[in-house]
Amino acid sequence: MGAGEYWNPKTETLGRDELAALQLAKLRRLCDWAAARSPFYQRSFKQAGFEPDQLRTLDDLRRLPMLTREEWMASQGEQPPFGLLPVAGREAAIRWHTTSGTTGREPIRVLDTAKDWAWQAEMWCYGLWGFGVRPADTAYVAFGYGSFIGFWGLHYGLEKLGALNVPGGAQPTEGRVKQIVDFGATVVASTPTYALRLAQEAERLGVDLAASGVQKLILSGEPAGSIPQTKALIERLWGAKAGDTAGMTEIGTIMIFECRHQPGGTHIIEDHYIEEVVDPASGEPVGYGEAGERVVTSFGRGIIPLLRYRTADLVARVPASRCACGRGFDLYEGGILGRVDDMKLVRGTNVYPRAVEGIVREFDHVEEFQLRLTREGHFDKIALRVEPAPGLSDADWEDMAGRLAKALAEAHEGLRFEVERAAEGELPRFELKARRTVDERDTPIGG
Amino acid sequence: MATTDLLGRPTTEVEDELLALYGRCKALLERDDLTPCVRAGARAATVGLWNAVNDLGLEHEQLLDLGA
Repeated sequence: MGAGEYWNPKTETLGRDELAALQLAKLRRLCDWAAARSPFYQRSFKQAGFEPDQLRTLDDLRRLPMLTREEWMASQGEQPPFGLLPVAGREAAIRWHTTSGTTGREPIRVLDTAKDWAWQAEMWCYGLWGFGVRPADTAYVAFGYGSFIGFWGLHYGLEKLGALNVPGGAQPTEGRVKQIVDFGATVVASTPTYALRLAQEAERLGVDLAASGVQKLILSGEPAGSIPQTKALIERLWGAKAGDTAGMTEIGTIMIFECRHQPGGTHIIEDHYIEEVVDPASGEPVGYGEAGERVVTSFGRGIIPLLRYRTADLVARVPASRCACGRGFDLYEGGILGRVDDMKLVRGTNVYPRAVEGIVREFDHVEEFQLRLTREGHFDKIALRVEPAPGLSDADWEDMAGRLAKALAEAHEGLRFEVERAAEGELPRFELKARRTVDERDTPIGG
Repeated sequence: MATTDLLGRPTTEVEDELLALYGRCKALLERDDLTPCVRAGARAATVGLWNAVNDLGLEHEQLLDLGA
């Protein structure tokens, strides 16, 4: 591969040993910083009997205690509003963001200094450049620009690499579709769900997106960007390549991206992060190819050091050699596979929302869907509510519903899914993180 | 000035130039006689160079005490 393939050829092509040495050098500095400045880590290091000079090899990382979201939340409660993790107060920061709050929980509040904020754009540059975005591109950002950190880093990353940035901002979907075409966008950034929504709206408007100038879609915010069936549907509707990325408010930006070779997974930006994959129950590391929970250490945000943070993301790591791009960065096969607590147990059968979506997306004429779990007496029921494309005849619906129920049952040990037709516009639409699973059981079994 | 990166490898001519510029920007930010417009410009320049220095594994440090 030529140097033009990479944003940062020097470290993106390091061998595994050199990469580990670089990570160790950065880890020592980060731990020194946290021990000197963060009240949270001063306490947790002391409780764990850890001192930064114990870091002799990368394996010594496991001497550090892991950090959970619950501990972070408790810290915010102990010292509102930002908790004890930050090394400085709001006066040192230039940005304040929060988690999306889609789960109904108290949001995590984060700060960024000028350096931290610029670093977040830098991480997006790794991903954008890696998927082939170049200064000649015109990029449309379908994002509402609020307190949720979302695509903020992508916005500044586009500017940094020299692309022409069109901030979509808060406006109706129809307006965004028209702007994408009118401005001659070659790149569009959105969630996977919203990319589908934009395509549906375009069809209503009589706009042929496949004939537009859009060549690349940068997806983020949901695991669906790596669900093969969903990705294939998006690429077909747009006539463009879709590249998956994933990030989180807790680190402020993306930590994985799909390169232009589309290897069926996302590269970990390993010169800026240490990513571990552990058994969610034991916390012990799992091997290549085994699904486990992501645990992240970030070298980026200095005002809130993040060491061994348990993300609850489910991933399966595979070696860098899986991709032909020449990067030394390992990958997560299939991107983020879901959440460790995603799995639903229904009458003894495991149901994963990601797998259900993969099946649903194989069917044409699905406008929106929702998985609903209920309980009658001691009997769990699972229904797939489907909002078909407008105008679908009753006969065509019956045919599709029958085939859908059969496909779902075959993939779930014969479990019977009620496939129900929802009225047009009945199901919720999503711009950011879609929440299509509704568990109404009083005492859910298995999460 | 560092002559090796964090991996102990000799720095290149471009990397030496980058480190020199970065060091001068940090030194400027340490002064207490900067006007607001100069401080903001110096801060932006320092942050920009920090990213390059950090990406190349030449240095990994925090800039909080310099207001960044």
